[in-house]
Amino acid sequence: MADAYNLSETSSALLEQGQPHLVPSTATPDTRTPTAAGPTVASSAAVLAAAALLAACGGGGDSAGGNTLASANAASTPYQPLLGTPVPSRLAAQTAVALPTPDQLMDWAERTYPALFPDHQLNQLSGTIIYRFYPKSGNHVGVSGNDVLVLGPMSDNSVTKVGTLAQFADAVAANPAVITQEDAARFLLQAQFSASDADIAAVRSKGYATFLAEQMRAPASPSGLEWLDARGYAGVDNATRYYDSGYPGDYMAWHQLMTSSDAVRKRLALALSEFFVVSLSGLDFAWRSHGIAAWWDMLVANATGNYRTLLERVTLNAAMGYYLNTKGNMKENVATGRVPDENYAREVMQLFTIGLSQLNLDGTDKLDASGNKIDSYTQSDVSNMARMFTGWDIDNTQNVGTFEPVQNRTVPNTAYTRLPLRLTAANHSILPASFLGTSVAAGTDGVAALKTALDTLFNHPNVGPFFGRQMIQRLVTSNPSPAYVARVATVFNNNGSGVRGDLAAVFSAVLLDDDARRLEGLTQNGFGKLREPMLRLVQWGRTFGITSARGSWKIGELGNPATQLGQTPLRSPSVFNFFRPGYVPPSTALSASKTPAPEFQLVNESSVSGYLNYMQGVVRNGIFVNAPDMPNSTSNANNGFDITASYTAELALVLDASALVRRLNLLLCAGQLSAATQGLIVNALNATPLTATSTDNARRDRVAAAVLLVMASSEYLIQK
Amino acid sequence: MHFIDPQAHSRRAFLRRTGQLALSGTALPFALNLAAMGEAAAFDASDYKALVCVFFYGGNDYANTVVTYDDPSYNAYSTIRGGGGGQTAGGIALAKADLAATLLQPSTPLAGGRQYALHPAMTGLSGLFNAGQAAVQLNVGPLVVPLSKAQYSSADRKTYPLPPKLFSHNDQQSIWQSSSPEGSTIGWGGNIGDLALGGNSTSLFTCINVTGNAVFLSGDNALSYQLSGTGGAVPINAVKSNVYNSSAVRTALSTLVQQSRTHTLENEYNRVTTRAIGAEAQMTSGLAGVNLATAFPTGNSLADQLKVVARVIGARSALGTKRQVFLVSIGGFDLHDNLMAQHPGLLGRVSSAMTAFYNATVELGVASKVTAFTASDFGRTLTSNGDGSDHGWGSHHLMVGGAVKGKAFYGTAPPMSVGSTAAASDQWHVGQGRLLPSTAVDQYAATLAKWFGVADSELTGILPNLSRFGAAAGRPDYPINLGFMG
Repeated sequence: MADAYNLSETSSALLEQGQPHLVPSTATPDTRTPTAAGPTVASSAAVLAAAALLAACGGGGDSAGGNTLASANAASTPYQPLLGTPVPSRLAAQTAVALPTPDQLMDWAERTYPALFPDHQLNQLSGTIIYRFYPKSGNHVGVSGNDVLVLGPMSDNSVTKVGTLAQFADAVAANPAVITQEDAARFLLQAQFSASDADIAAVRSKGYATFLAEQMRAPASPSGLEWLDARGYAGVDNATRYYDSGYPGDYMAWHQLMTSSDAVRKRLALALSEFFVVSLSGLDFAWRSHGIAAWWDMLVANATGNYRTLLERVTLNAAMGYYLNTKGNMKENVATGRVPDENYAREVMQLFTIGLSQLNLDGTDKLDASGNKIDSYTQSDVSNMARMFTGWDIDNTQNVGTFEPVQNRTVPNTAYTRLPLRLTAANHSILPASFLGTSVAAGTDGVAALKTALDTLFNHPNVGPFFGRQMIQRLVTSNPSPAYVARVATVFNNNGSGVRGDLAAVFSAVLLDDDARRLEGLTQNGFGKLREPMLRLVQWGRTFGITSARGSWKIGELGNPATQLGQTPLRSPSVFNFFRPGYVPPSTALSASKTPAPEFQLVNESSVSGYLNYMQGVVRNGIFVNAPDMPNSTSNANNGFDITASYTAELALVLDASALVRRLNLLLCAGQLSAATQGLIVNALNATPLTATSTDNARRDRVAAAVLLVMASSEYLIQK
Repeated sequence: MHFIDPQAHSRRAFLRRTGQLALSGTALPFALNLAAMGEAAAFDASDYKALVCVFFYGGNDYANTVVTYDDPSYNAYSTIRGGGGGQTAGGIALAKADLAATLLQPSTPLAGGRQYALHPAMTGLSGLFNAGQAAVQLNVGPLVVPLSKAQYSSADRKTYPLPPKLFSHNDQQSIWQSSSPEGSTIGWGGNIGDLALGGNSTSLFTCINVTGNAVFLSGDNALSYQLSGTGGAVPINAVKSNVYNSSAVRTALSTLVQQSRTHTLENEYNRVTTRAIGAEAQMTSGLAGVNLATAFPTGNSLADQLKVVARVIGARSALGTKRQVFLVSIGGFDLHDNLMAQHPGLLGRVSSAMTAFYNATVELGVASKVTAFTASDFGRTLTSNGDGSDHGWGSHHLMVGGAVKGKAFYGTAPPMSVGSTAAASDQWHVGQGRLLPSTAVDQYAATLAKWFGVADSELTGILPNLSRFGAAAGRPDYPINLGFMG
């Protein structure tokens, strides 16, 4: 039987879970007339409904429903009668219309046939079949490979193949999901920093996948290094000593986040910067600001490239070389007892690739026979791999020094900060090494040894779930379901074209996943994540038209939790990021269930207070800057609020508090503020009446009050 | 039991707490103030006591902190670390002559003629040691059971379990603080605080954290309450005063940030804000009445934090506190590179900050009521990687205070060697001089907790590995009470 899928494995698995299964019930009295083709179809309403489904894909032909399904069950020519004359055009169309994903097909079926498939349901997986079950109607719809299957009353409880994904492509494309403005804003706030009216319109008209793909291909905006150089931060002058300063790096980072046109790419790079961590706070070499800019630019350039390439650029980046000590790492010396530095070897495994414990595809821990986690590597793996990272040092081949007479010091140029580390063969350990089941023979040269090390790490089965889960945590939710992690990890392992580590595909899988997009996340307790403080400030700036009047963009370190944000981009306190993916907030409802909420590692009595105090000033007045007319850190008569939000659209709505709050709810919260909270805010605003003759100050007070109240509310702070 | 089981720990703790809370008729694990529940039975809380954990984040290089000094061991140290000829500095070895001023002079000399000095930058602490107000615990680190080198190398992990995730920063920090790796939610400082909640009129002020979030101070009931190292309790301006000239906005904001929510994450965030608002005025007012004459060093974040701790202790009458546990920290110890350039500054700040803090407790009249002790992720290798050292395990730590039986070393001085032979001198490390702890963190913690007032019967509920140590477990060589507290 072509279409009576052998689902014995499926059914036993599902039966164990006490769930409906895809095998026709043998308990149902069979009153139908058997045919040679196998499962038969009675002339029932269900059959008609199934026929309607088929008709909708353009394949209904001229037969009665019963005949249609019966024909579909014929082993030899399963679709011929359905397709009828449209076959040529349909085949032609296939080249133009992308195949729907299983999610898109099933979503379309729900939209188009709500009576057959009532209420959105979650995907279930059994063997190769992705399916959804609709308890109200008793029907299933599923996809196995390219086949579209239905089961339930609509198919008289026979597993019935109703066509292929290709055959439904036009129909799905012709009836796309309706994306509301709230849906669009929600997507934008996960995929980038903010939601503008224009972006919301673009997402609604193009759809999520197309918008995302376009943004991933968007032209690159000026890099961090270009901005530093254009602002004069590469100049050698004892009066400014930019080469010994970190603050230009802070200005660079905030400027990139606040103003870049390729916001999706920058958002992904920021997520990567919290996985592959270099902190400006831990850099103390000449041109450290250029070093962090080169690091950032590297993350940006590779954010939608391949993980293997990224891993190598991370490893050989100069700032990383300083941060985790690969720079100048020397081979062993038996005479002096010196051994290779182990720092990078350990952290590249623990943090950048495989993690401490062996993982299943879905990110859960593998367990040994005694139920214990299994270590991913041993101290011996660390000590052996450390040899792979010896012999590397900064590349000074393009250096031209500038003599600085006041300090009597020759300052190098900035070139080495953007050049990969360079191998000095004499300093590289050529001892044999074995790690993670791989061996490197004695005498292997440093470049080949590094390749073996990075290939071994990249191909370890942990990387997909380990990296994928953390990217989901950064962009969507603190506690992704194992199935969500598995879907993302599967894409990491193979983007569908046989490529491992395709980051564009991985990030698309994170952002387009049903768990990220479906509305259930808005009502499911615990879904979502705490917005990071730095993301709140960037969202505020981008949403409300932030500008630097003098163009100097002097937003510095904002790390003090008691008076500022407690977080500055690219200034993690250590390589372990601002927070750990497994952080469980003690003394909360999350502790009993050991539920992580990583961003809560930044939450305490001081930081929640400091955030509100900081934002209260910034939201109303902007960011105070010393000497905004100067690039360097100094103070002069021009000190003032150089960096401000225009609030143009908000000021236009200011007389209508309800409209103002509606707008903020959409742009800041993707519509996630409850009616009660909106009402509370509107009433507070209306307590100070405004009229057409009210002053500009009074108008700005109201806008600022509305923004502050929204940004103070927990419904905003927890992004769902 | 194979690895430490955090579930078992929390379950045991939960049962213990449940038993004590039974009379109250309700379990209120998150209650702001449990004073009414009469939990103070464990303590005779007529006086004041405080424990202050000074955490060195990054893993401190033990060998250049408590530095071996007698000629045979110094010479071995110098050879291993690349020292210069004639006991001069070199590689990552300190010069012997530079250690003379910080030589530690215990009342009872160590066996075998062993001598130690503190790092030359630690003059304040060496002075406190020699004056009897500080002591050194040698080679302490996480252990699940007492372990010999052979047992460490054994394949029988059921009989000889290791602490999980050795050498990993975040996990070993967590294990030092809570006996469990990352994700742990109950620390032993917090468990000690649990038993002290009832002794304080505002139980929230029992466990006070003056540094970044850490599990150490979270108990089954005790919460970690955060003070800023620079500002004490941080007021929320928008709750205390009108916002942009509007009292209605102030009221609305006050409601929004404190309302209970159905969504767990929303609710937990607002609970923190609610606590902050509820406690701030009382704490600020209490601190306002404290004027310390003791000079604290400036430009020293650890000193800033310890000054806040001293002021909170100074406000103990106004705040109604009798038992407190504090956490402060200093970072930057992960010195794979630049050990010789960076370490002196760090240890100098540690020494000056802890010395000033001790002096402040003298000024406040509580020197014998306050004990500060150090902790860190792990020790480091004795070998050099050129200009630094790598992740290790056991380390030496310091206890400071009037109640410390000072001018003394506790524990066993490890030999100076990095070989991997069967010789006795190679049985104290697990490679490259990574110390195999001869004293467990649980013993260290138990000794401090016992002084603080925790009953013997309660120690094993707080320290899940403790039952495998001490005379009752057949290991009198790993005593429950290390004896360094008076």
